[in-house]
Amino acid sequence: MTGLGSAVREFLLAFADDEHLIGQQHTEWIGVAPFLEEDLAFSSIAQDELGHAAALYAIVAGDGDPVDDDLRIDDLAFGRAPEDWRSAQLVEITSDDWAHALVRHWLYDAAEQLRWEQVAQSSLTPLAEAAARAEREEQYHRRHADGLLDALLPVPDSGDRLRTALADLLPLAVGLFDPVAGEAEAVATGVASAPFDSRLDEWTDRVRRRFDVDPARFLPAAPTGRLDRHPDFGPLLVRMREVLDLDPAAIW
Amino acid sequence: MRRYEVFLKKDGRDEFRHAGSLDAPDDELALVLARESYVRRAEGDRLWLVNREHVILGDPEFIAPNADKPHRHNDGKAIAEHRRNVREDGS
Repeated sequence: MTGLGSAVREFLLAFADDEHLIGQQHTEWIGVAPFLEEDLAFSSIAQDELGHAAALYAIVAGDGDPVDDDLRIDDLAFGRAPEDWRSAQLVEITSDDWAHALVRHWLYDAAEQLRWEQVAQSSLTPLAEAAARAEREEQYHRRHADGLLDALLPVPDSGDRLRTALADLLPLAVGLFDPVAGEAEAVATGVASAPFDSRLDEWTDRVRRRFDVDPARFLPAAPTGRLDRHPDFGPLLVRMREVLDLDPAAIW
Repeated sequence: MRRYEVFLKKDGRDEFRHAGSLDAPDDELALVLARESYVRRAEGDRLWLVNREHVILGDPEFIAPNADKPHRHNDGKAIAEHRRNVREDGS
């Protein structure tokens, strides 16, 4: 394949932006997770997600042939204006409550598994390779999230906090499946096997089994087409760019 | 929370060595958390976790009497020197 075309580029950017922001969100728990061992595990998971984002941005920056050039990856990861992002609001909102962060981790990774599966046989070889690597790491992420939920959901106080977080997060989490720009072309060219929302029912079933939650809760927020940024996005981008903005010309 | 003792081994060499300890609520999370706490830089490729409550403790009072039995140390040099001193003093 020579050249991604603007549609497939948009499709990949939406995935990369989600991976980037969930990674950035997880990093905000470094040093303040509930206990030391969890701090290390969650930081590792954040690092993995940032790695997935970097792999996807590298494919976009190289127009299908991944670049090994941090500056060009950083241009995509940090240099775009908010209106050019294609992230879902689930990964834009601030989680300053651990139960909230944990439930988001589980909801996101349950969807992420299905999303990588959509591109595991991609006609875009570097994308299929990124999917294979990501799935090895995601097995750990899911085991981590499930292990914590197995331990915490049956505890009365913890379980209540988790279910409250779930109720807040579900409408935004369903937004992960909003069709993204360029998806039709990505499917037509074999970059992805099918539209992502074809996996929504499967994800919904998993959420129900995990949390024993009322299906009526799954009503999504109004679709945004990933064009509207959540109010938390602006301050998040400022935090992400905090060091970069000290000296944008610095060589790292 | 339970306390687990962590042991690591490199495949094909060395024995399992004690690497440290870990707090986790159950066995499954102990494994999940131990991987990133102790093997994040591939420090080993085999991992044992032992629930601290399952460790059988040798009380120091029980161990102590054996600190006073030099005849169990097979130190030929010290014995030879001792015998030489006895011989020379006796002649």
